[in-house]
Amino acid sequence: MRRLLSGLVWLAVGALGATGFALLALHRGEPVSAAWILIAGVASYVIAYRFYSRFIALKVFGLDARRATPAERLGNGRDFVPTHKWVLFGHHFAAIAGAGPLIGPMLAAQFGYLPGTLWLIAGVVVGGAVQDFTILFASLRRDGKSLGQMAKEEVNPVAGMAAMLAILAIMIILLAVLALVVVNALKASPWGLFTIACTIPIALLMGWWMRALRPGRVLEASAIGVTLLLVALVAGRWVSQDPTWAHWFTWPGPRLAWAIIAYGFAASVLPVWLLLSPRDYLSTFLKVGTVLFLAVAILILLPPLRLPALTRFTDGTGPVFAGKVFPFAFITIACGAISGFHALVASGTTPKMLTRESDARLIGYGGMLMESFVGLMAMIAAATLDPGVYFAMNVPAATLGPTAATAATKIAEWGFTLQPGTMEALARQMGEATLFSRTGGAPSLAVGMAAILGGVVSGPGLALWYHFAIMFEALFILTTVDAGTRVGRFMLQEIAGHVWEPLGRTSWYPSIFLTSAAVVLAWGHFLYQGVLDPLGGINSLWPLFGIANQLLAAVALCVGTTIIVKMGKARYAWVTLAPLAWLASATLTAGWQKVFAADPRLGFLAHARTLAGSGNPDAARMIFNDRLDAALALLFMAVVMVVIAASAREWWLVLAGRKAPVVHEAPFVETAYAVGD
Amino acid sequence: MTAEAIRSGTARALRVVREVVGAPDYQRYLEHHARCHPGAAPLDPRAFYAEFVTRRFGPGPTRCC
Repeated sequence: MRRLLSGLVWLAVGALGATGFALLALHRGEPVSAAWILIAGVASYVIAYRFYSRFIALKVFGLDARRATPAERLGNGRDFVPTHKWVLFGHHFAAIAGAGPLIGPMLAAQFGYLPGTLWLIAGVVVGGAVQDFTILFASLRRDGKSLGQMAKEEVNPVAGMAAMLAILAIMIILLAVLALVVVNALKASPWGLFTIACTIPIALLMGWWMRALRPGRVLEASAIGVTLLLVALVAGRWVSQDPTWAHWFTWPGPRLAWAIIAYGFAASVLPVWLLLSPRDYLSTFLKVGTVLFLAVAILILLPPLRLPALTRFTDGTGPVFAGKVFPFAFITIACGAISGFHALVASGTTPKMLTRESDARLIGYGGMLMESFVGLMAMIAAATLDPGVYFAMNVPAATLGPTAATAATKIAEWGFTLQPGTMEALARQMGEATLFSRTGGAPSLAVGMAAILGGVVSGPGLALWYHFAIMFEALFILTTVDAGTRVGRFMLQEIAGHVWEPLGRTSWYPSIFLTSAAVVLAWGHFLYQGVLDPLGGINSLWPLFGIANQLLAAVALCVGTTIIVKMGKARYAWVTLAPLAWLASATLTAGWQKVFAADPRLGFLAHARTLAGSGNPDAARMIFNDRLDAALALLFMAVVMVVIAASAREWWLVLAGRKAPVVHEAPFVETAYAVGD
Repeated sequence: MTAEAIRSGTARALRVVREVVGAPDYQRYLEHHARCHPGAAPLDPRAFYAEFVTRRFGPGPTRCC
């Protein structure tokens, strides 16, 4: 009887989800409610978690609650700490969720809401969540080893080196594109810049508080920090309205780019307690709080989706970024569907904190479902915008033309309408000078979020909500920039230490300065060129970032497949092979098109060729950058093909019986905890 | 509800918040230390925090994009 009942309930969940998908896909004309995106998503998540992740946990990995975890065996009260599974779920989610799942769907909305929504849901269920779960499981069985170490030990040293190189290169392009999003959001916005500038002295105060005044009192310092931050947010309005102050905080793009480069350098060389860790705590509180609030607000409002399900730009003529829906929807939305970067966290802090091996299912698979849900919220925020406003904000000025009238004409050519005065009124409402061509996704996300948050709590007004959203995005993006620069520095030091030993010493100042400068100049170059780019930079850098992130995911899936094969579970290798095949084909196609496509809007080399005879005074610089971008895309593709080939060789050797299927797991130790739940 | 119940409830809630954001928990460290290294003197709060932060923001990435 109970079985029958449970079967009926799951059937009902399935039917509800299917209704959601059908409505989203087939409905035309009147706006569909955002509720259907949520219903289709949540029904899929619940079913996938209940059935698919259970299958992977039991049949493929054989998770064993009796096996002691690294946290139990190596517990030190510091980083190896057994943590309650729901608490760790929150901790892991806070670590993996960032700007990626918010910005990607916003940009991919140029195809309409349907392609991005389908990819966010399908991608996470069979790809992203599987990747995170697999790497978390693998690292958990190996005392918390990193992805690079596992690639070296389980595949071979060549794959290990390739993975290291891939991670460093991806870090560079990731930091550049995220910094560019911040520059575009703060450019000519005194309110936004003032608020974000205030986070630096606030962080220094918190750092001093936690280190010297009240050692280790993170919650106390964070409460003070968040309060001061909200004061800075409110004071920002006053700054933007006072002519002298507004003038001081109105910065052009290049100057902002230099400031972020200097900030990244400072965060990398200063002690972590002073700047980096207080900012991390501040942004974590803000991030988790805002994401929860946004979810509640969307559930209360259930706003109508004004963007069509599909736009004409699926044919590759899109003005936000070039390229057809296949493969570009699948690389524009990386995080939220599948993100290679997660493999670094899933093989970093998280595996050292699991109490029971069986908890890996909730944290690895379930944590990624949550991130996909964040992606759906960003898609909803994008789709609730008036399509005319969406394109006016996200298309570069070089395409829209110099005035509101030229922009309206252009948008009308695409089949959307922008009523005269709409953008001016919206800018006034949001407390900004202009909202035309604010590319990068962050400003349009902030407009969407302001409408949603302000629709539930209207007291503060739209302008305050808009700048709250900008602060929320910029704060945690900058936290990624400073932490990422530091991680890049450590990686470079490790590599440089092989060339000249003293460079490998992580606390030797000459090496710290040299390697930090090298890392910031590397991403700073791409950032600065992006800022100067007349097309806004995002349309060339974001695809490059997406390609890099997806190819890192391919590396992680290769490592995962190798481990599954060597565990003697080759019959289940399709669990990781299927997403790997899809990812490799979509991403290598995208990479190939970005380099070699004949359309100069799409292909880097074709763009360089059109510049060659143009007489443009900046031609030489732009040609150099096109070729550099092309070289980088080719490097990513080459590295991944090396890893795929090295892994395939291992699979073949094991399957042909020419190599013993041996994995390098830590030996089994029985847990001392009671096994029950 | 007694004052004691409120106090212990608050302490538990704060511990959860600390764990979610990845903040150090000195009390838990002391418990661990007393259990695993009885007799040895534990680090003072200042030294513990310094060591914790260096480890947490060490070589590996702690945050995604």
